[in-house]
Amino acid sequence: MKILTTVKKVVDVELNMHVKDGAIVQDGLQYVINAWDENAVEASVQLKEKNGAETTLVSIGGGDNTDMIRKCYAMGIDNGIHIEDPALNKADSAIFAKVLQKVYEKEKYDLVITGKQAQDTDSGQTGIMLAQYLGLPCVSNVISIEVTDDKHIKVSRLGDAGTEILEVELPAVVTVSDSINEPRLPQMRGIMMAKKKKINEMDLAALGTSADDVGAAAPKSEVIEFMASKVRKAGQKFEGAAAEIAAKVVNLLANEAKVF
Amino acid sequence: MAKVLVVADIKQGVLKGSTAELLSKAKAIGAETAVAAIGSKTEALIPELVKAGSDKQYIADAPGLELFSAGPYAACVADAAKQFGADMVWFGFSESGKASAPRVAAQLNAACATEITDVKLQGNQIEILRPAIANKVMQRVKVNSDKLVAVVRAGAFEAKEGIAGTQNVVKLSAPPADLKAAIKELISDASGEIDLADADIVVSVGRGAKDKAGVDLVKQLADDLKAGFGSSRAMVDGGFMAHNKQVGQTGKIVAPSLYIAVGISGAIQHLAGMTGSKVIVAVNKDPEAPIFNVADYGIVGDLFEVVPILREEIKKVRG
Ligand SMILES: Cc1cc2nc3c(=O)[nH]c(=O)nc-3n(C[C@H](O)[C@H](O)[C@H](O)COP(=O)(O)OP(=O)(O)OC[C@H]3O[C@@H](n4cnc5c(N)ncnc54)[C@H](O)[C@@H]3O)c2cc1C
Ligand SMILES: Nc1ncnc2c1ncn2[C@@H]1O[C@H](COP(=O)(O)O)[C@@H](O)[C@H]1O
Repeated sequence: MKILTTVKKVVDVELNMHVKDGAIVQDGLQYVINAWDENAVEASVQLKEKNGAETTLVSIGGGDNTDMIRKCYAMGIDNGIHIEDPALNKADSAIFAKVLQKVYEKEKYDLVITGKQAQDTDSGQTGIMLAQYLGLPCVSNVISIEVTDDKHIKVSRLGDAGTEILEVELPAVVTVSDSINEPRLPQMRGIMMAKKKKINEMDLAALGTSADDVGAAAPKSEVIEFMASKVRKAGQKFEGAAAEIAAKVVNLLANEAKVF
Repeated sequence: MAKVLVVADIKQGVLKGSTAELLSKAKAIGAETAVAAIGSKTEALIPELVKAGSDKQYIADAPGLELFSAGPYAACVADAAKQFGADMVWFGFSESGKASAPRVAAQLNAACATEITDVKLQGNQIEILRPAIANKVMQRVKVNSDKLVAVVRAGAFEAKEGIAGTQNVVKLSAPPADLKAAIKELISDASGEIDLADADIVVSVGRGAKDKAGVDLVKQLADDLKAGFGSSRAMVDGGFMAHNKQVGQTGKIVAPSLYIAVGISGAIQHLAGMTGSKVIVAVNKDPEAPIFNVADYGIVGDLFEVVPILREEIKKVRG
């Protein structure tokens, strides 16, 4: 079985972020692996350990991705592809999905695992669009994957009415929730081995495609401005005897906030 | 005149409030409105769909559509969008919406945007507003396409009274089942509980409650208030709360009149799901807990002590 895992380098959401003149101030920011992609990597490695598989990751953009990709190698990923091209600087999810389609088509895979969303876009589209472009079945927001035979997997996803269990024919695309697993910490042996491994660096031309071909020359949507989001101000905070402050707050809720 | 197709949000046969909210917004931007209702026994909802403000109702009603399956669902929406000639397709905030929107966009060759909080229309030019990076920033997005498929963030638009539409029903043919991603089973969430998305008050419990006894204690407060009972991820991971109770970036986005966070630290991923609430109350024993940065009323104290008192005091003021 061949598994392709998509991994994006994103801004660390735990750090403070400021906006100036319609753009995010880069000072003090750090870039890390997208949390949901770490779950995707873990899911791929678990499938490899359980059923045997060759695992490949692909990451588009992010500049120098060496550290992130090595971390994934140390977790157990076998091969890494990094695609960097200035034409993709303004790419939206649909364009990333087109590029991923090209990667897939070069060397067919049985299963593609993506994160359910990227922490920088919060868009949750790429994996689903990739499946549409490839004409493959797709299940999103997946919380478990089990290989049933050469041609099928059984997955569960969190839906609106509860947990949905699906039988999926391979090849297929799944997007994973953070509830699917707890990503492992790389061990020393893995870290050492990861250092020796190559990363397959490519641009669009090397991938056999072009900006026009993947739609990057005319994106369907583009962010024209970043703005600071409305921050809630801290209100009143009460400390002291529980009986007193709890009564005070209930009073305020009734008489000031008027929610009761 | 722009045409907006709203996909009706139907849960267990019940039409959710977001449908009227989206239709109201569509009318407010001067659009012609239609609604697509997909599922089983959806015909029964026609009067409600009209009342919610739709001028045309595309109805897919088949037993095979009872369990959500993204392929057939998206196929129905795309079919309705084509028949209506929709410029925009809007989904309410739901897992089915999130799973379907990118498919519909790909099928219509449209732009796609999720979690939008506003739409502006100037002539044919569509512009949207949406939060990104766990709500840390807002993005203004220009749509370079004459078609947009969008998922609207919970609580973004308000329903207006008296915008009732007209009945004009178009039946959609049921698409074939997705045999390659076949839905086998649905393990239903406990029914009869208040849906977090509809609740006017939400009480959520976090790791501070420790165990089942703590969760039960906080649930009593929720029950007293007839509130939805939510959770941080920590309590879901701990097996104390069901997945569908998780509030936050990967869980439910809620925007009730009152949100009470009990024993929740206020991690950014949790805040992403609840800072749209009108009034926030936090109970936490750590005065430095980040949840206090967003709370209108913060109670620094041990929840095991505070919650029973809150219940008593609330009973006093509410009778
Ligand atoms: C990709 C990703 C997605 C995520 N999505 C979500 C999401 O959707 N929703 C979500 O909630 N989290 C999400 N998380 C997890 C999030 O980062 C936090 O780990 C989680 O919200 C913590 O839950 P908590 O506040 O209950 O627990 P903790 O952070 O452990 O906080 C417990 C709090 O309880 C207080 N406390 C302890 N004892 C008492 C007491 N006796 N009385 C009063 N207070 C007490 C403590 O002071 C502390 O502040 C996500 C994380 C990642 C990486
Ligand atoms: N530039 C990228 N490189 C690699 N994977 C990506 C990229 N963009 C998106 N993805 C994958 O698609 C998922 C969803 O992204 P998004 O649609 O932007 O929310 C992410 O979790 C990644 O797994």
